[in-house]
Amino acid sequence: MKEPYEYPFDPPSEDSVAMRDGAVEGRVAGSPDAYDAGESARWSPKAIADVHAMAQLGRYQLRGYNTFNRRMPGFDDLVFVPATMTRLPLEGYRESCETGTVLGDRPGLVSEPLRLDIPIYVASMSFGALSANAKAALGYGASKVGSMTCTGEGGMLEDEREASTTLVYQMTPSRYMLDLEHLRMADAIELAVGQGAKPGTGGVLLGMKVSERVARMRSLPVGVDQRSTVRHPDFLGADDLQVKIEELREATGYRVPVFLKMGATRPRYDVAIAAKAGADVIVLDGAEGGTGASPEILLDHTGIPTVSAIRAAREALDECGMSGEVSLVASGGIRSGTDAAKCLALGADAVMIGTAALMALGCNAPRHLKDYEALGTSPGRCHHCHTGLCPVGVTTQEPHLEARLDVPGAAERVARFLTAMTMEITLLAKACGKSSVHNLEVEDLRALSLEASAFTGVRLAGIDRPFTW
Amino acid sequence: MAGVKSQDDRSYEMGLHTEQLAGRTQQIFFRPEEEERFLYPWAPDVDYNRRTEIDADTMTSTEVNAKLRALMNEGYGSIVVRNPRGKHSLGVGILNRLNLIFEGSLGYFAVGLIDGPNVRIHGRVGWSCGENMMAGTILIEKNAGSTFGAAMRGGDLVCRGSVGSRTGIDMKGGTIIVGGDTGAFSGFMMQRGRMVVCGNAGKNLGDSMYDGTIYVGGEIRDLGVDAVPAELTDLDRAWLTRKLTQYELLPTRGVDHFTKIVAGKQLWNYDNLEPTEKKLIL
Repeated sequence: MKEPYEYPFDPPSEDSVAMRDGAVEGRVAGSPDAYDAGESARWSPKAIADVHAMAQLGRYQLRGYNTFNRRMPGFDDLVFVPATMTRLPLEGYRESCETGTVLGDRPGLVSEPLRLDIPIYVASMSFGALSANAKAALGYGASKVGSMTCTGEGGMLEDEREASTTLVYQMTPSRYMLDLEHLRMADAIELAVGQGAKPGTGGVLLGMKVSERVARMRSLPVGVDQRSTVRHPDFLGADDLQVKIEELREATGYRVPVFLKMGATRPRYDVAIAAKAGADVIVLDGAEGGTGASPEILLDHTGIPTVSAIRAAREALDECGMSGEVSLVASGGIRSGTDAAKCLALGADAVMIGTAALMALGCNAPRHLKDYEALGTSPGRCHHCHTGLCPVGVTTQEPHLEARLDVPGAAERVARFLTAMTMEITLLAKACGKSSVHNLEVEDLRALSLEASAFTGVRLAGIDRPFTW
Repeated sequence: MAGVKSQDDRSYEMGLHTEQLAGRTQQIFFRPEEEERFLYPWAPDVDYNRRTEIDADTMTSTEVNAKLRALMNEGYGSIVVRNPRGKHSLGVGILNRLNLIFEGSLGYFAVGLIDGPNVRIHGRVGWSCGENMMAGTILIEKNAGSTFGAAMRGGDLVCRGSVGSRTGIDMKGGTIIVGGDTGAFSGFMMQRGRMVVCGNAGKNLGDSMYDGTIYVGGEIRDLGVDAVPAELTDLDRAWLTRKLTQYELLPTRGVDHFTKIVAGKQLWNYDNLEPTEKKLIL
């Protein structure tokens, strides 16, 4: 039996062990700041607040805007490597760079392909999610710079048709206000089978935004929470889709191109199937894409990042020999000309902007601060599109809010923004030695992170090889 | 459930006034400026008394559709298509008045996307017949496939035989009449319009319907979420009798045995439902 050790002095008091002499009242000695900051890896203040919200509401939470998931590799993980010794740059401020873009150029199938002056157009956002003023302003702005817009789910507005010289008519699964005269007036038809913000789920328009006009257009009772179907009513799989596309061509006399819009999930296979089914233009919307309203979990936890989707889609088109015949449009989280240029370099034929165009209209602008406060937010971080109480009149159906969006001014801002984006793209293209923005290629990019390189196949900066296993 | 407000109370509080919506389904609003536009300004002027025939035996769908357009432009108002041989997408996209008769069966998307013509099909049709139609009538003598009249907005779509599943999915107006049985998920997310099934209906009838009315003469296997039976009124009986007589489908025992199904309106504003009612929306 070993004798227990005994100090050669009196045993210490508990106060002495706990260093209570002069300590902050109530605080356990030595507790790290992380405790105060709530830095549990599992139970962050956000996770706890989520549980409280779910416990109160008994349902998932809804919001607008786009993903808050920070862990996605994005455009910022890629840089351009302009021409230096191996290539010759063009004069960035002087020499010309071709920006014209043709979509759906398929002789025999499409007699009137779309010819745009710039490789950027405004994404499909519905009247309903957006105010009529916003739709009109987007149309006029895009028309001024030779671009185009797309109708979205809620049918075609007459203002919008008048505003947009080139307009894509979207057929969503719900087919709200599918008017055959409008179909005839459209410059292209887009079958939407999904969107990047919430792939595999139909659209949401909460009752506050289902005003009398919206309800009449969509054949809905006023004020209902509209939850659209996600499956098209008249086709299910790819083989039906093929017949459906043929039907649309028959109905429009083989005149306009047929777009197919999908959320980025399994682009390598989805895009190949869509191309084989007969789509002329494939619109691929990455997970960073925005929306007017969606269950929050879908925004943050579904779909794959735009940069990775474009590469997979382009490779799929190459593999089935459809590159050059079928056009690829990329979208999802494009904020600037640099983002757009990176999309073009990764393999897109054109890009589509949604949220960025709304920002140009005035979304999140520091005006009417009291209304931002009433929503519990502030300019720069507002994501309350789903409430229909947009302080700047973009995503609302309230007449007094909608009136805050001045159509001529907003249209001019959209036009200038699209011009500026195009200038950014041409500046980068010329630095890379390209006389056309469509000549940008993957070789012009380098990845700054292992993840971005592994996801996209873009060579890592410095070592000049793609990261592979 | 004492103390729990009814859906009607809640919708009154929200200013939705559901009673104003009742019956609006079938109302057609004519605006003065639209009144004179019964035909599209560019539509060819056809004469119903000028009749012609096409033999589609060796023609492709594209050739048949192009021929139909050419004949309409020449002024033919009655066209008979012989030997359609089950081709897809025949007669689609006709936005004009026309008597169109098919002497045989059609494939997928038969006479879809139409606005105006009267079509008679002496045979069967595949999936999605009359999808997205806006006006006119389509009468099918035999059976039809699934998604019959998908997302249709107006007109009469009649099948004397039985149809497949998802009949009248996303229907936004008009009338679908089925002489025989219909499959599962008929009237799925129906928004407006009326659907009459003289025979039996499969499972999940009227699932998630927003509005509109379904009449079933036979057995209903089960009702979908938020579809509820309602009382058959004299107006319903009169309408059923008139419509079924028009298409020679009136049962010998009358229409009193029909069951009427309408929306329970529980899904209209589910965010305002009590948590216990949430199971509806899973």
